[in-house]
Formats: sequence, C-alpha cells, structure tokens
Amino acid sequence: MSDTAPKSNFMTRWRREPLLPEAGAGGAPLTAVIAVMSFLAVLAMAAVLIIHQSAGRWTAELQSEITVQIKGADQAEIAASASAAMRVLNDTPGVEEAILKSDDETAALLEPWLGKGNVRAFLNIPALIDVKVTPALRTDLDSLRQRLTAVAPGAALDDHAAWHNRLAMAAQSGQALAVLVFLLVMGAACAVSTFAARAGLAANHEIVSVLHLVGATDKFIASEVQRRFFILGFRGAIAGLAAAFAALAGAAYLLERGVGADSFLPQFTLGGWHALWLLTVPLATCLVTAFTARLTVLNTLHRQY
Amino acid sequence: MTKKQQIIRFENAGLAYAESAETLSDINLTLGEGEFRFLTGPSGAGKTSLLKMIYLAMRPTRGTLHLFGEDTIDAPREALPMLRRRIGVVFQEFRLLDHLTAFDNVALPMKVAGVNLNSYREDVSELLNWVGLGDRMDAKPPTLSGGEQQRVALARALVSKPDLILADEPTGNVDPAMSERIMKLFVELNKLGAAVIVATHDLHLVQTLGKPVLKISEGRVSRSPAAGGGA
Ligand SMILES: Nc1ncnc2c1ncn2[C@@H]1O[C@H](COP(=O)(O)OP(=O)(O)OP(=O)(O)O)[C@@H](O)[C@H]1O
Ligand SMILES: [Mg+2]
Repeated sequence: MSDTAPKSNFMTRWRREPLLPEAGAGGAPLTAVIAVMSFLAVLAMAAVLIIHQSAGRWTAELQSEITVQIKGADQAEIAASASAAMRVLNDTPGVEEAILKSDDETAALLEPWLGKGNVRAFLNIPALIDVKVTPALRTDLDSLRQRLTAVAPGAALDDHAAWHNRLAMAAQSGQALAVLVFLLVMGAACAVSTFAARAGLAANHEIVSVLHLVGATDKFIASEVQRRFFILGFRGAIAGLAAAFAALAGAAYLLERGVGADSFLPQFTLGGWHALWLLTVPLATCLVTAFTARLTVLNTLHRQY
Repeated sequence: MTKKQQIIRFENAGLAYAESAETLSDINLTLGEGEFRFLTGPSGAGKTSLLKMIYLAMRPTRGTLHLFGEDTIDAPREALPMLRRRIGVVFQEFRLLDHLTAFDNVALPMKVAGVNLNSYREDVSELLNWVGLGDRMDAKPPTLSGGEQQRVALARALVSKPDLILADEPTGNVDPAMSERIMKLFVELNKLGAAVIVATHDLHLVQTLGKPVLKISEGRVSRSPAAGGGA
C-alpha cells in the first residue's frame, strides 16, 4: 500500500496544492535574479534618500549664512565701517546673529596663501562679518545691502548663491541618476519576469492545456501564475533587501570610522521613515514581478484556442 | 413535450492537421439531449480527432460546430470555458496532472470552476470509491497503474455532472469486469439525462449494449443503427 495511505487523507484535503508544479516556473534562478535586482533597487533608493538628506542639510546651513566683507583705504576706515555695519545688522529684523571676525581670525584665514607674519603691515585686510539670517530675510537681501553700503561704502555682501546653486545642482543630478537606476532595475525585473513566465508556460504546456480543457479561464491560470511569481519575487526581494541593508550598514560603519563624525561627506542614519521607504522597494519588486507575469500569461494564452 | 435540445451539431465540417489532406471530411452530425453513441473505427481513423473538436481542443478547419446551441467557431474566447465545463472528457491518454494527488485530480474541474471544496468533497470521495480507488486518494498518478489512472480520469470526467460525456477508449486499460461496470455506469448516467459518446475498439461491448454506432472510415463519419441484440 502507498506510504501516503488513509491516515494522511485529512491533510490532503487541508493542503492547498498549487495547480502548477513548484519546479515549473524556474524557481531558484528567478528568485536569485530578483534578489540581485532588489539589492540594486534598494541601493539606488538609499542613494536617493541619502543625497536628499545630505543636500538638505548642506543647503540649509549654507542658506542661513551670509558674509559681509568690508574694505577700506586704511585700518581705521575699515574698523569704523565695520562697527557701523554691525549696528545696521543688529538693528535689522531677520538677522539672528552677526559676528565680526577678529583681526587674528581673518589673518589666520589668509595664512595658507600669505604665510605667517605681520600681514597687516603691508596689506589692508578687509573685515569679515559672519551673519546668520532667517529664511525670510535670505530671500530679499537687497534692502539690507543698500543700508549697509549707505553706512559703509566698502561693504560687500556675499550670499554664497553660486556655491549654493552648484551644490543643489549636484545633488539633483545625483538623485536623478539614482532614480534612473531604480527605474532601470524595475524595468529589468519586468523583462526577467516576462521571460520566466513565458518559459514557465512553455514548460507546463500540458498542464495548462488540461486546465483549459476542464474549463479553466485564462484569468484563472494567470492568477495561479501570478501567485507563484509573487511568492518567488517576495523571497528574492527579501533576500536582496537583507543584503542591501548589510551593505549600507557596512558602508555607514566605514564612513564613520574613516572620516570622522564632523566630515562634509554624507553621514547617513537611515532610521524611521527611510527604512519604510526602503521597505517599499522589495514590495514594488515583487508586485512588478507578479503583475508582469500575469499580463504575460494573459497575452500568451490569448493566442491559443 | 419541448423539442429536444441539440447538444452537438456539425455542419459540413472538416479537420486537417497542418498542411496535410483532411483527416475528417464532410462531417454532418447531430447529437440530441440524452442520446448515446458509440464511436468506432480502425486505429488512426480519426475518433480522437472528432472528439477533440467536440471538447474544443481543436477547431474544425472548415464547416461549423454548434455545442448546446451555441456557435463555437465565432464564439469569443471568453465563452469557451463555460462550454467546456458542461463537457466531461475521459482522455485516451488520461492526461492527469502528475504533481497532484488522485483526489486533487478528480477535484480539478470543480476547483477550476471556483466551486467551494465543501460542496464537492463528498462527490470526489464517492467517485473514487466507486472506481475502486478509495484507498489511493492521496497517491499521485505516476505511482498508479495504467488502469488505475484511467479510473481516476473517469472520475474526473464525471465529477462536475456534465451534460455531455466524451470517453475516448475508457476501458482500454482495465479488466473485463471493470470494463463492463464502467460501460453500465455510462448507460446509467445517460438514463439520468447526460448525452454520451464512447469511442471504443471493443466491439463486444458495443454489441451487448445495443446503442447506436457512429463509424469512421476513410475520413467519413457514418451512422449505423443500434447494433446487435440489446435494448
Ligand atoms: N497532432 C497531430 N498532428 C498530425 N496528425 C495527427 C495528429 N493527431 C492525429 N493525427 C493523425 O490523424 C489521424 C487520426 O488520428 P486519431 O488519433 O484521431 O485516430 P484514432 O481513431 O483516435 O486512433 P486510435 O484508435 O489509435 O486512438 C491519424 O492518421 C493521425 O496520424
Ligand atoms: Mg484515439
């Protein structure tokens, strides 16, 4: 008598056997490819998030800071203009902080170019004022500029606009590139899924034919295949996600150890929202895989009798 | 009494495989509700081919075929599954799904039709018991003998209580006693209203049951009256 005799009958009724055999849909290779796709897609998404976060921080810092530079014929004139400018700045609503750099600090800034020594003896070093402004004032600096030049003719106001623009541009192109990579990976996942679904149908031709002959609709068969591909895609996507998290954690650790916490390089902490965004990637991957498989099956079957 | 519905109606139909000459020509054939036919003819005559057209596995290459009053040639693809669900087929090669148990194979037409398992579980068990496979419900087809597979295929063909039963050599692999039992079952189901076509080489059975015979020879289907002494 068979080893699967009566005692397991109940289990048989209970179990929901898939109508297409496990081996048929190119299981393991497809899962592996989806894992790689998902890995790349998660990294691309992480790049988008990290650039967004870092660029936001950099530009916020840059945006709140402007510099006033004051030139003059001699040190006395510079000092007078500087204190006049400080008064104007301190009276301006929207200026959160104005700090006049001491002569020594200014000299230290020039040291790399001019060397140590009494630079002031032969140069009229301009005075520098670091100003922190509110975003509202930042957008309209013209009146402040006029009032400054009224009291200190040698004053020039630098809002770092060029530097800021260049940085924003770099961040945007970086993000665009990452989004493009993400979309390409999703497209590749579609292609792979289409290919695998066609191969699966061909390999299971006899089964599909029997299903049709006992009255299955194309939709029914497509749903079976879709469910299968969702499960395969899900396994792969989770594996890819895990690998990508490991890679990101490794990179974060190396960055922190290698360049120190106060570096200008992106320091990323992917917590909360970011983790959620990254979790949508494997979900998107297996949805794309399953849905593409469904469409492929419907399309292929439609050409049969 | 209302006019009997026509289950099958071929008009000037022909079937050709690929580019070759027609395997079947000039088929003009009707089968009414509750009618029984044997289908005979030498090997390679085209019995399976005729049945294939009826269970909608192949389209006639010319002529028309109506099933249950519906034109199958111009029917939209979406209409075919509903027609197929009204037909139970015992395929000559059984065509069981090897990765499913006997139980799941028999249950397949119901599952595919989206019927709830609870409403057909008993039918499946009873049919498998009836064909003597009550203790092999969990066996997969590759572990069954040819005759056992044939009986699973028979159970699958009947589980949905189809209006039309097509059996292609349904007794080719079973012993004479089982063979007679199966034929009597067809006759019983026919009495309950199912139209039946049984393709067979077993002329002895044809003789004993005394039902009308469709004969295929040289690509033509002809009808001979009830054979032998029965009925
Ligand atoms: N798929 C096919 N492609 C081409 N020719 C086919 C195909 N199937 C069947 N034929 C041919 O059609 C003819 C009829 O075959 P069919 O299977 O219908 O015969 P049959 O009466 O069922 O024979 P048997 O009694 O042996 O089952 C044969 O000559 C066969 O070679
Ligand atoms: Mg045959």
